[in-house]
Amino acid sequence: MSAVEHGAGAGGGSYLTSERGLRSWLLTVDHKRIGVMYLGVIVGTLILGGVFALALRLHLWNPAGGLVSNDTYNKLFTLHGAVMVFLFVIPGIPSALGNFVLPLQVGAKDVAFPRVNLLSFYLYLAGAVLFLVTLVVGGLDTGWTLYPPYSLEGSRGLGILIALVGVFLAGFSSILTGVNFIATIHKLRPPDMGWFDLPLFLWALYATAIIQILATPVLGITAALGFMERIFHLGIFMPEYGGDPVLFQHFFWFYSHPAVYIMILPAMGIVSEVVSVFSRKPIFGYRFIAMSSLAIAVIGFLVWGHHMFVSGQSRWANVIFSFLTMLVAIPSAIKVFNWLATMYKGVIILKTPMLYVLSFFAIFGVGGLTGLFLGALATDIPLHDTYFVVAHFHFVMVGAVMIAFLAGVHYWWPKMTGRMYDERLGTISAVLVFLGFNLTFIPQFLSGIGGMPRRYATYAAEFTTQNRVSTVGAFVLTAGLVIALYGLLASLGRSGRRAPANPWGAASLEWSAAASPPSHHNFDTPPRGVRPYDFSVLRKVSEEAGWVNAGGEAP
Amino acid sequence: MTLAPGPLQALLLAGPGYMPERASSVAAGVDHVFGFIFWVSAVSLALIVAVTLVFVFRYRARASRQVPEASPDHSTRLELTWSGIPLLLVMVMFALSTKVYLEMTSTPPGQAATQVKVTARKWSWWFDHADGKGAKSLHVVLGKPVELVLGSVDVVHSLYVPQFRLKQDAVPGRYTRMFFTPVMAGTFPILCTEYCGTNHSQMLADVVVHEDQASYDAWAAEGRSPALSLVDQGRKLFDEKGCSACHSEDGSAGIGPTVKGLWGKSEKLVGGGTATVDENYVRESIVAPARRIVAGYDDLMPPIPLEERDMLAVIAYLQSLKEKP
Repeated sequence: MSAVEHGAGAGGGSYLTSERGLRSWLLTVDHKRIGVMYLGVIVGTLILGGVFALALRLHLWNPAGGLVSNDTYNKLFTLHGAVMVFLFVIPGIPSALGNFVLPLQVGAKDVAFPRVNLLSFYLYLAGAVLFLVTLVVGGLDTGWTLYPPYSLEGSRGLGILIALVGVFLAGFSSILTGVNFIATIHKLRPPDMGWFDLPLFLWALYATAIIQILATPVLGITAALGFMERIFHLGIFMPEYGGDPVLFQHFFWFYSHPAVYIMILPAMGIVSEVVSVFSRKPIFGYRFIAMSSLAIAVIGFLVWGHHMFVSGQSRWANVIFSFLTMLVAIPSAIKVFNWLATMYKGVIILKTPMLYVLSFFAIFGVGGLTGLFLGALATDIPLHDTYFVVAHFHFVMVGAVMIAFLAGVHYWWPKMTGRMYDERLGTISAVLVFLGFNLTFIPQFLSGIGGMPRRYATYAAEFTTQNRVSTVGAFVLTAGLVIALYGLLASLGRSGRRAPANPWGAASLEWSAAASPPSHHNFDTPPRGVRPYDFSVLRKVSEEAGWVNAGGEAP
Repeated sequence: MTLAPGPLQALLLAGPGYMPERASSVAAGVDHVFGFIFWVSAVSLALIVAVTLVFVFRYRARASRQVPEASPDHSTRLELTWSGIPLLLVMVMFALSTKVYLEMTSTPPGQAATQVKVTARKWSWWFDHADGKGAKSLHVVLGKPVELVLGSVDVVHSLYVPQFRLKQDAVPGRYTRMFFTPVMAGTFPILCTEYCGTNHSQMLADVVVHEDQASYDAWAAEGRSPALSLVDQGRKLFDEKGCSACHSEDGSAGIGPTVKGLWGKSEKLVGGGTATVDENYVRESIVAPARRIVAGYDDLMPPIPLEERDMLAVIAYLQSLKEKP
């Protein structure tokens, strides 16, 4: 990052250059540096999970498989799922972008508990390392859902125990981040920044943090119980000791369904920011969007049973869970309509973050609407555990969340690094990601409707075409992601263009009151609250110099 | 189930166009619900994409367009409208789907189902048919309702027949049920849809739907093994394990309840509540007798661990003692 050194803002050095040396990074309590470290590790986990995914897709080129053995295939999809869910999608936006952006948007010097924030990073890192260790000790073939009795069978090696500890640690990292975010939003706002002056990204992170704090402990408890069941045979989950495997499924989904909202809510927060800034208009229906985040967080706790419609759960429990699941669709629909209304009569600027957001609308649309087939009982019964489900949750978790993550990384990249990424490469990547994604996952809906179950190392020949198209799509998607990564990293080199403080003309504090990159203390003087979507106070100087506050000078 | 008149119904079913054959009585109902959700979703998605594209084209930044036009930043009436319409639509989906679901999980009223006991294991299926024939494939008769009672000897499996639109997990330590009435003769695949290890994708079997009872009987008669039927095995175990010492088989009183005519009864429990004597209650009363004791009896019985196969035999025997209506 040496070239970035010169890009310091006012105040004699940015957070990137205020201290030097590896130690100053590893022991930092600066939320910005912690956010950057998270971003680095999280991108690493995305690459790792992606390599597993490509191996899976290559294996499925032929119905009989052939690239690897069934056992290796099972280990690959287990680690693909576990790494992507626990290490990339869940922490991705809150820990990397949230950590960097939240204190800036709230006008604070740092999060409320900076040391806890660093602890949270190392817990996450320890969890990630333990997942890698399971690879070394022979891998794990339980599926990321870890259902007993299969996952806790007596013949299993160390892999499962290490993975359970890894899940436990990653979970604590998530809880601590949630605590920090809630405390920061409550206590560190400028006195004149009311709740309804918060940027919607903060509302989204706030709703996310509530879920992190309330749901993640259940995951930790479940992992601990599983650990003890395996060693002490307590008789909780294993029928042979008098336990009940379906109880594990309840515990697991009581966390893991809300976890879907831990993933998607911050993504929606990014979309709210970007769609407003790149339409040059205040977000439409601010309060409805903010409250729908909270509604999703609350209703999201009451729908876990829809993962268990064929588990032997009572019929009437199924009917109630189905009803609640249908309800949770509404707040998401409200958000989509509000985003569209925000663009109405605006001035739509088609830069990379906005291109990603536009593709988010279509992909989240498909992801959300296909959820209706799985919330409705009659259609879930045949589709459950088929490729329809695989396609559905990839549309939500990969399509929507990863695309919003990419929008967010491009959007805040100038703030994080002080450099502008290459717009042409960004555009190409956004288009390729959109095409590659749809090419990969739309055929999987067809396989699922046709009756192809998930987690199959071999499959019936009638599904060959869909599988091959899907494999080709996976490589197109990979190409898009590689180009995005290259475009971002290349901007750090000598040719990278310096970013002004406010290149997009955004009104929230990280753009309107902090340098790019920000100084160690974020703001030279404590900022006053602003209306985050009032763009009338900004004036564009030039493409290079960006936007300034109309009344005064650039910060 | 009819949702709509002819042409519209055809449209509903044609929607996805990628369904397997409809071989059970509920398949058409499922596909109607699928078609309804499909078309609502397709129209919604088309609207979202169309509005996005139109707005991007009309309002994109260009030389002649640098400043946004005035427009409201909220409208409660609009917000309530676009909250209310989706709410209405998903409630219709919920109602249609739940109606079909209740049909999918019960025997048609007024008809008796033939019971088949299913045992799942890594990585095969075993079917104990009502007439005592055990087989690796499931055999049923066209138009006759079937009730499957599923158990597993090792991990969770799931029985899935795409052409029936039905699926049910087989969970170790308890029994689950699945109901269907075949409406198409032929052979259809049974797949495992709950991940169960190495050969999960090869845990396959067939369900054979016979044209008529005669065809089924011909199959059932061929190569019948000389081994004891499940009921006879159960009767033998009931004696060998000492059950008969406390539970009489002829209705006379004993230390525990008699098993004559016990099956299907609703029993009052110590500490209140009732239990229906079915597969799961019998299983629980054998492996953990103290949990739910019939009122009027003491907690005297020790837990008796049984192999899965033996458990199924004892259950089959108790079932055979059910009082004929």
